[in-house]
Amino acid sequence: MTSNYIFILFHYNVEIILSGQNVNNIKEYLANDHRRCDDLFAQMEAKANSSLADTKELTEAFVADMERHFQREERVVFPEFEAKTGMLNGPTEMMRQEHAQMRNLMQQFFEAIEEDNKDKFFGIAETLMILLQQHNMKEEQMLYALMQQHLSAEAEHIIGMMDSLVVE
Amino acid sequence: MDFKGLSIDQAPPISAPVRFFVTAPIFGIIAGVLLLFSDSATLMSRYSIDAIVVTHLITIGLFGFIMLGALTQMLPVLASANVPKIKRLALFSYVTLFFGLLSMAAGLELSNSLLLWSASALLGVGFLALIVSMLYALKGVKHFTASIKGMFTSLIFAFMIVLMGIYLLYGYAEDDVTQLHYIVANIHSVWAVFGFAGILIIGVAFQVLPMFYVAPRFKQFCKKRVVILITTGLFIWMLLSIFADQYALYAKLWIATFFWAFATTVWLKFNKRKRPISDVTVWYWRLASISLTLGSFLWIYDEFFKHEYIVMVGIFIGGGFILSIMLGMLYKIVPFLVWFHLNALGYMTIPTINEMIDKRLARAQFVLFVAALIGFVFSFYMPQILTISAVLFIASMVLLEYNVLVPVKIYRRTKKTKPDFDMSAFSTK
Repeated sequence: MTSNYIFILFHYNVEIILSGQNVNNIKEYLANDHRRCDDLFAQMEAKANSSLADTKELTEAFVADMERHFQREERVVFPEFEAKTGMLNGPTEMMRQEHAQMRNLMQQFFEAIEEDNKDKFFGIAETLMILLQQHNMKEEQMLYALMQQHLSAEAEHIIGMMDSLVVE
Repeated sequence: MDFKGLSIDQAPPISAPVRFFVTAPIFGIIAGVLLLFSDSATLMSRYSIDAIVVTHLITIGLFGFIMLGALTQMLPVLASANVPKIKRLALFSYVTLFFGLLSMAAGLELSNSLLLWSASALLGVGFLALIVSMLYALKGVKHFTASIKGMFTSLIFAFMIVLMGIYLLYGYAEDDVTQLHYIVANIHSVWAVFGFAGILIIGVAFQVLPMFYVAPRFKQFCKKRVVILITTGLFIWMLLSIFADQYALYAKLWIATFFWAFATTVWLKFNKRKRPISDVTVWYWRLASISLTLGSFLWIYDEFFKHEYIVMVGIFIGGGFILSIMLGMLYKIVPFLVWFHLNALGYMTIPTINEMIDKRLARAQFVLFVAALIGFVFSFYMPQILTISAVLFIASMVLLEYNVLVPVKIYRRTKKTKPDFDMSAFSTK
């Protein structure tokens, strides 16, 4: 079970390295994270479509990947941005609130799998998908660009920290 | 620094877009009733009063209301563009457009110049207030993506077609319908369909298809060039249709080719999408692709038959393409807005967006709509089926209204209860 999960994460990380994106730009780095989560999401749904019972691993992988992305933001780049701009209750706080909404929703995936309730699973998936995408649009369209602008000098260092982050 | 787009507190309140969405099907119903009592022969002429009234109930009442509602919601999210005082502005435009459109319909049917004058004033002010504010908000956007370019261009077209519309209404109000009137009417209609609605849909598709269906992204060529190529085609077509009508066909071919290519691309992107879902919104996108393809070809074919088929082109492109996209979008956006606003207020135990609208009723609405569309196309040859098609269309609009109202009712009902969780800790105010 865990090996499968490790394989998936490994696969994606290798893919990023192979795709030749030498990412030293915060905006690109985090946007890549979004695309990777989207792909995992689609895989999870495809699996759920054939068999919900077998979806648990992929769902765990997806939720873990999302969590890692959230923490990269909440524990690394958001505090840096807040310290630099002095904006404590601004956009980053709104993004944290949406992260909380998504975390809550993702937990319900496991209830649906437990109950073997496909309708519930896809209902959550659809809701999460739209919530996630409009969240991503806000971040990619505005927040990441601002971050790159304000944190460009420290970008490499910040990306290094996000890369080595251990998920709590 | 302006962070407003990122806050739900300052994002448009749910009432701003939803008011437009809930009203749109009512205009569809009125248009259907009018079709029921119209003579099919008069409808076959695009310049007959009945045809103009039905067309505008659908284009302004249905498309216009849904598009404006969606834009008030999407600009802050998709473009981080904040329209100042959006709540009041949206209400103002809603009221003026609502009464403007009713005055227009009544004024044309009764040839009452007072009603027509007030229609031209109300529609003009209502549209321009919102369009100009949106253009102003978009102008300030720093990161101009392909989608935002599409929206911006389409709003410029919207601005111009509204000015033309005001002029056309003046013609009817003063009974001053000249040769120029028909030239302007022709440009008004083609720019409205391909310039405003067409480019808006293309622009939004660049973003929506890859994001919501995890479909492959559009090629850089599409994103960077297609909008400008279509815009150029529309300007060249306008000049040719005024000064050298015999060559206008070439510009039409140019425009139709890109829209046909877009229709094909959408179809292929949906084939390659990674999400396995196939709900009514996907069906609507499919229907839009097919209709746009047929409509584009027929638009060219029509050129060789003294424009006999132009009404059918309108049915394919207006009904089959534009309306399909609008309706498909409503099925996603309304339940999402309800869920999102309730969840942000701290209500956790609410239905997911799939559970808000009964899937069977959404499918039934789709089937009725397709049946009406096919009926309208064939009533071109068999006038006797116009009545049944109109009935089917009315039924599809009534069901649409019901499907849109259900989530809104859930919102109202839930808000009367106490939230599961106090979100005030997250509030930035």
